[in-house]
Amino acid sequence: MSSFLLKRLLQGVVIMAAMSVIVFAGVYAIGNPLDVLIPPEATQDVRERTIARFGLDKSLVEQYFLFISNLLKGDLGLSYIYNEPVLSLIGNRLPATLELVLTAVLGATLIGVPLGIYAGYKPHGFAARAIMAISILGFSVPTFWVGLILILTFAVSLGWLPSGGRGETVEFLGIEWSVLTLNGWSHLVLPAINLALFKLAIMVRLARAGTREVMLSDTVKFARAAGLSEMTILSRHVLKLISIPIVTVFGLELASTLAFAVVTETIFSWPGVGKLIIDSIKNLDRPVMVAYLILTAGLFVTINLCVDIAYALLDPRLRRGRAE
Amino acid sequence: MSGASPTTSDAPILEVSDLTTQFHTRAGVVKAVDGVSFSLHKGEIIGLVGESGSGKSVTGFSLIGLVDPPGRVVSGSVKLDGQELVGLSPAALRKVRGARIAMVFQDPMMTLNPVLTIGQQMQLALNAHEKLSKSAARARSTDALTRVGIPDAEARLDAYPHQFSGGMRQRVAIAIALLHGTRVIVADEPTTALDVSIQAQILSEMRELAREMGTALVWISHDLSTVSALADRILVMYAGRIVEEGPTAQVLRAPRHPYTAGLLRSLPAMAEPGTDLEQIPGTTPSLLNLPQGCPFRPRCDRATDLCSEAPPMTPETGRGYRCHHPLLDGTPA
Repeated sequence: MSSFLLKRLLQGVVIMAAMSVIVFAGVYAIGNPLDVLIPPEATQDVRERTIARFGLDKSLVEQYFLFISNLLKGDLGLSYIYNEPVLSLIGNRLPATLELVLTAVLGATLIGVPLGIYAGYKPHGFAARAIMAISILGFSVPTFWVGLILILTFAVSLGWLPSGGRGETVEFLGIEWSVLTLNGWSHLVLPAINLALFKLAIMVRLARAGTREVMLSDTVKFARAAGLSEMTILSRHVLKLISIPIVTVFGLELASTLAFAVVTETIFSWPGVGKLIIDSIKNLDRPVMVAYLILTAGLFVTINLCVDIAYALLDPRLRRGRAE
Repeated sequence: MSGASPTTSDAPILEVSDLTTQFHTRAGVVKAVDGVSFSLHKGEIIGLVGESGSGKSVTGFSLIGLVDPPGRVVSGSVKLDGQELVGLSPAALRKVRGARIAMVFQDPMMTLNPVLTIGQQMQLALNAHEKLSKSAARARSTDALTRVGIPDAEARLDAYPHQFSGGMRQRVAIAIALLHGTRVIVADEPTTALDVSIQAQILSEMRELAREMGTALVWISHDLSTVSALADRILVMYAGRIVEEGPTAQVLRAPRHPYTAGLLRSLPAMAEPGTDLEQIPGTTPSLLNLPQGCPFRPRCDRATDLCSEAPPMTPETGRGYRCHHPLLDGTPA
């Protein structure tokens, strides 16, 4: 187990190194930030000083190694636009995205998996068919459209919920959170539903497919023959047997939603990292883009590592060293 | 028969009469079990023998009320200790299953849950019928595992199924079936997936356990030679019906039904060394579309016009057969 973890960690380091090269080279290739940084009427002197200040007079390779050595010191550079350290810029906005995405993905899983198990347990019932029909909707309707409809319905027509922003926040562990206030929740609900819909559909389908398969297995027959109730069979046998694909998708969805909640954040003007990256791309704010992409890669590597550990915890056959 | 009180010592534990299980499919009605009757006494072992598709497994599942849809028991009766099981509510049936009648399946790799420890699975089976503390459940499980011959049982409770060999896994399954002092165990080909040497071990252990605990066994198998080493009585099944029944020695030595005789001739142990094994010509008929009369007729060399009428069960003392032209000379023809 520990050698497996070590191997995974090393793989993660290699992936991160490769990502940093690709990201840096890629961002370097798009546009010249000078036009953004320096007003056209600036003097040649100002021009040169600015170029030197941001290290733009050095070669790509030099810039890269400068960036990496700063990165290892925990310094991701200054934003061209906000003139603020990139790390604190992202750090200020990450909690907003984090609470939105966790609410959405956890909610989708906690609601979707039981619904899917039910639909797989009674696949021919009316309720199961209804659940599956709704899950197709979840798949096929585009997120931005659902977001607009949610705002039109609940914010504009009914006036029940606000249409944007984070609402009241409370400081906890030095970070502002919306999930801790009622008003914050009223702001969170609509964007969370908007983000969760697609994931809910995936969870329902995964859980249903797994349950259908497991219900026909001899394990379930044997459990029934031993007199176990259907509820016990579903909660103890089936849930654990179908959990591996669910954990996989949970991890992938969590990571990709954290990185790319852009559409929902834009529609609901949720001040998360998604909005930050879009703004930084528009403004060619190189340090923010690079830092954001590298953090995202790190996020994927970390979450995948957690998923691998979860596999080993869930399925004893994957634990090495203890078997036979 | 029907008035037998459960307290009489020679009353059967399990009494099956005219059990009929059908599958209503789009292609038509499959009569998987067609009027099966037999009775089972305390500590008795019955061997239910037949080819694939003869309905022997469905008979087993019908006994414990676990026929998969679209199949269902359409008529007949299964009495366990005098209690009628056919028509019982699912909740009432669940209370009977595992506590008074249990089932063991063919492949223990498939029946045990790979992601739960043996101890967890045994605890689930125990809690299905009794409220037990964790430590009490462990003690009971350890006893049950020791009884079926698993060494170091206490420590093995924390192991997972993949850490056991095939034979040991099947022992675990049997231990789970025996957890509640079950009166009847239906064993569906439980040794088929095992090595021959392990098979023999498990067979003799099962025989001993049945004697010791007074558990009655219905041993379902396609293999006459396995069953002959174990069973007190043999029921031969063909196309959903019992075509011959009797004490093991009698059925083996003097089969009455041509089908039984054919099965015996196809056993390697019965053949002259160096000669080809005999086969029964043809294949088992489709249960969707049985020939009229005796279902064995198309494959039988003794068939006559008379056989287009279904033969009734001809009772002899302690045994019976369904044939118009039985082999009465006593030697397998």
